[in-house]
Amino acid sequence: MSLPKRIIKETERLLADPAPGISATSHEDNLRYFDVIIAGPDQSPFEGGVFRLELFLPEEYPMSPPKVRFLTKIYHPNIDKLGRICLDILKDKWSPALQIRTVLLSIQALLSCPNPDDPLANDVAQHWKDNQDEAIETAKEWTKQHASA
Amino acid sequence: MTAKIPRSFKLMDELEKGEKGIGDGSCSYGLLEGDDMTMSDWNGTIIGPGHTVHENRIYSLKFHCGDQYPDAPPTVSFLSRINLPCVNQTNGRVDPSKLTCLSNWKRTFGLENVLVDLRREMAAINNRKLPQPPEGSTF
Repeated sequence: MSLPKRIIKETERLLADPAPGISATSHEDNLRYFDVIIAGPDQSPFEGGVFRLELFLPEEYPMSPPKVRFLTKIYHPNIDKLGRICLDILKDKWSPALQIRTVLLSIQALLSCPNPDDPLANDVAQHWKDNQDEAIETAKEWTKQHASA
Repeated sequence: MTAKIPRSFKLMDELEKGEKGIGDGSCSYGLLEGDDMTMSDWNGTIIGPGHTVHENRIYSLKFHCGDQYPDAPPTVSFLSRINLPCVNQTNGRVDPSKLTCLSNWKRTFGLENVLVDLRREMAAINNRKLPQPPEGSTF
């Protein structure tokens, strides 16, 4: 099986020059499938947490976006109970000029800036709008409970 | 060789398809628990095909997708009682050797294929008039 040169390049660069707080390693038996770890950003409710994700590059990549999902439970208005992520660049705003690295950086940024106006988890988003302080407390508790290293 | 989609992303695609509904709505399926991050246990329904003893009956089923799915097929059981040659009459379990899509499983198949295949079995010439247990009874 020949892997497109672009994917090989991206994989090499992710290993050689990882973005701060992000690691991505491909599976030996499936080089389009990555184990990802994102550290919860400082000053966010997810600070101190270590979040596991999985990422898959479909056949059409880079014409289609990567598929990404959280494996660690997280209390966030744009991430649902199954770990699916609501992020425009993973859907209609995808461009082949983006990369695995940019996708993961965007997810990291989403942790710093939850957006309850474009929710995926409706109950969490409502909580965020009604009582942001309390929602942030819940997010911190979940981080402690589910995302401790 | 084409990209090999991992278990969880395959199941997520299936979930999205199932949530939208398949074809004419005669078969449907979804996750048993909406927050099951392993996406292992599913339920399904089949509306009995017309012009058979199954007409207007609604059958409930359950699926289990193990760690090896979709390399290995799901296990499938009827919750509603049904008399079909491929269904174990004691526990409702579908015998994988007696259902084509399970015995010739391919990793591109999904839960939809199993439901459609079972519905086809219900309508098969030899099965369409088989005497059935009372409607609504369960295994």
